Amino acid sequence: MTATQKHTLIEDAQGITYGATMAAFGIVILTQLGLVTGQTAGLAVLIAYATGWGFGPVFFLVNLPFYIVGYLRMGLAFTVKTFVAVALLSVLAWWMPQHLAFSRLDPVLGAVLFGFLSGSALLALFRHGASLGGVGIVALMLQDRLGWRAGWVQLAFDAVLFALAFTLRDAATVAISFLGALVVNLVIAINHRRDRYIAT
Amino acid sequence: MPDRPDQISDQTADRPRHSAVDDAQGIAFGVTMAALGMHILTHMGFVTGQTTGIAVLVAHFTGLPFPAVYFAVTLPFLGLGWRRMGAAFALKTLATTAALSLMVAILPRWIELGRIEPAVAAVLFGLLFGIAALAAIRHGGSFGGLSVLWIELQDRTGLAAGHAQLLSDVAIFAVAALVLPVGTLAYSFLGAAVFSLFLAVNHRRDRYVAV
Repeated sequence: MTATQKHTLIEDAQGITYGATMAAFGIVILTQLGLVTGQTAGLAVLIAYATGWGFGPVFFLVNLPFYIVGYLRMGLAFTVKTFVAVALLSVLAWWMPQHLAFSRLDPVLGAVLFGFLSGSALLALFRHGASLGGVGIVALMLQDRLGWRAGWVQLAFDAVLFALAFTLRDAATVAISFLGALVVNLVIAINHRRDRYIAT
Repeated sequence: MPDRPDQISDQTADRPRHSAVDDAQGIAFGVTMAALGMHILTHMGFVTGQTTGIAVLVAHFTGLPFPAVYFAVTLPFLGLGWRRMGAAFALKTLATTAALSLMVAILPRWIELGRIEPAVAAVLFGLLFGIAALAAIRHGGSFGGLSVLWIELQDRTGLAAGHAQLLSDVAIFAVAALVLPVGTLAYSFLGAAVFSLFLAVNHRRDRYVAV
């Protein structure tokens, strides 16, 4: 195979736009069904449900402290790209529900769709040197430094969030939410392979 | 055209290989995303290019259900795919298109779309179809095999496959222009443009190296 290839600015821009848009679509489905999830987005969803604030602004604020860690451990380019992805997702998650409505959506199908959309969004962001915030930054750092798969680290964080979710949601909703989070993490665990997608 | 059918056959000797589970989840992902994209496409009454576009038009003119028409349209290309690309490719294509037709047929039981801004629908369709095609291509699947026809044509007549694909899309949109309102046609074009650009930028065998 050829030596390492670099994405151009435009390639990264379209990858980050794809990731933020698909993630926003996933969040529209998730919040319409009242489901929870893991990672930084899961933390924001729990806060949004508990306080009644919108997901977009909460997600944007929750991410702010993590940019310091991101800058120190992953560098400036990663931090800027992540900030852009988080900002775009925050705006789209606020804007999209006014322009995209479901008359009816089965929760189990919704959870699987959320899992595929978010998993693919995160995969695109990772491959283009970005993420969707704090927990992802820590998980990526561990994968790059210790070789731990980012998917498994994120699963551990998710377990804590899901324990908290039982205080806000009934068991059936948490179980369906778990299916969605499982799909997200499986998509990443199976597909986030630097030996297969070699461009950076 | 971005599908770059002329580059489908590539030397594969020294590339990392997907396991059966890798391919199964990639195809399942692609089929699900394509089904969601088709659901949005038909809900909005949009048209698009290639096999799906032909199926949309045939369904429009005959009144037959779209999932059945889509499956029927893909069948003639299976034989061609078998001859050119081998039995494994043809059988994978058959499994993929059958699963996709089935999923598009049953999806309305669980998901009913409401009011969607046409521009939002067009962009989401383009991205969903783009990522579905990318996943299918990277995992050795195919959503219809029309591109195999263009490779065959290239071998016999010398007409570049990419050009043939583009011309066929122009023809599909020309027919659609006879029956669709201008607005719908414009949003359809936006969706097709997003799809094509997405594949053009991201379908790179030199970057995603596994087969």
